[in-house]
Amino acid sequence: MKRRLFLAGGSGALLAGCSPIGTALNDHASVRRVLRAAEALDARVIGGSGLAREYTLADVRRDPPVTSLPVPHSDRYAHLIASRYEGFSLRVDGLVQHPLRLTYRVLQGARKVTMITRHDCVEGWSVVVAWTGIPLARILAAARPLRAARFAVFHCMDRDETGAPYYESLDVHQAYHPQTLLVLEMNGRPLSPDHGAPVRLCVPLQLGYKSAKWIERIELVPSLRSLYGGNGGYWEDRGYEWFAGI
Amino acid sequence: MHEERDSNRHPPGVRIAHWAWVLALLILVSSGLQIFDAAPYLDASDQTDPVHRLLAIGSPAPGVGVTVLFGHTYVTTGWLGWVPDGLGGESARAFPSWITIPAYQDLADGRRWHLLFAWIFGAAWALRMACLVRSKALGTTYAMYEPLQRGAYAVTTFVLIPLAVATGLALSPGLDARFHWLPAIFGGRQFARTWHFATMIALCTFFAVHTFQILTHGPIRRLRSMITGR
Repeated sequence: MKRRLFLAGGSGALLAGCSPIGTALNDHASVRRVLRAAEALDARVIGGSGLAREYTLADVRRDPPVTSLPVPHSDRYAHLIASRYEGFSLRVDGLVQHPLRLTYRVLQGARKVTMITRHDCVEGWSVVVAWTGIPLARILAAARPLRAARFAVFHCMDRDETGAPYYESLDVHQAYHPQTLLVLEMNGRPLSPDHGAPVRLCVPLQLGYKSAKWIERIELVPSLRSLYGGNGGYWEDRGYEWFAGI
Repeated sequence: MHEERDSNRHPPGVRIAHWAWVLALLILVSSGLQIFDAAPYLDASDQTDPVHRLLAIGSPAPGVGVTVLFGHTYVTTGWLGWVPDGLGGESARAFPSWITIPAYQDLADGRRWHLLFAWIFGAAWALRMACLVRSKALGTTYAMYEPLQRGAYAVTTFVLIPLAVATGLALSPGLDARFHWLPAIFGGRQFARTWHFATMIALCTFFAVHTFQILTHGPIRRLRSMITGR
């Protein structure tokens, strides 16, 4: 009987001990390295091919939730909203043959596509959205990336409360995916400031934080190591996976 | 009890798979509840939809935790909704700090633990299946158990564990792009998330009953046999 009680206590302690032990291990550099091993495996197995399921207008929800960082609160952004993005231009530079500077008017005048896909947030919720914009592949083709360009980095206009800038990145393969869009309209209306106006990204094969908002510059780079925290994105520098396919 | 046949009955692969599962299940549940805390509700739909909500855990006011299950509201202060936050206080959070990894709210690290041990969980299943194929006949593996036990082990091995993996994979937007049918067979992505949670509850129930049975039926001998194989 004593043995049973001992074992019962033992398995109870096992359950209750899981959280404190895991928490204690969580901050060890070597443990973190091991935990990160799964990402490379996921990226390899899941990959970035295939086409996200497309929905119909009837599936679109009218009031898509808003998360991520607050709307940029700089004077410049306030002025952009007030001027209806008159002074805005999107820069495409870095390892390209033809650096571009695309004004809002030029972007609006470009041939656009609409795609109704599901936006899956890392938090666990999903929402079906009708995105209208320009396939990123078309813009990259115009800029003619050099051979050495392996990643497209999206520099955004927002900053967090510490002043750290928001940025994201995709490898060239995912950047050229036909459903990777530079979005100008959402659910039939121009993007609102809280959803990333004037230009945001939509990457339906990955979780929502890859779909960066308030983009002002696309830079083609050979490596992500030298940028900010070196992990390829604002959230990635804070522990999230760069490969967000699951 | 079939004392004689008990000896030498668990090949090494089965024992390794068993303990890998124990470790993986404990960590997957703790880190899974951490992930759940970021969106503490479950829907029976493809996209998030409060109309089809089956479970919601929240805090309508500071100091109050409320759980709404199938439309019934329960006050769960201290256990669900308003709980210890792992930082020395209490706050609005679905599951309490003593059951999540890490204890405090941290979706990024919770996901790292979950996605790594999901591989170990799946690998253990593959190892178990390999042992099964090698031992050829299913009957010999399970013959030593009572019918009810046999059923419980079979359901866990062939239904619950594959279901836990499949419903987890159904949450991946990357896999959805290649296999549209995967979330679809579970009723859509949010519904798959609900099934994932339900499978976790079922696995925890099995874990509790199984542990209880071991404890009441020769625990030392059974533990030894699952560790040493004898």
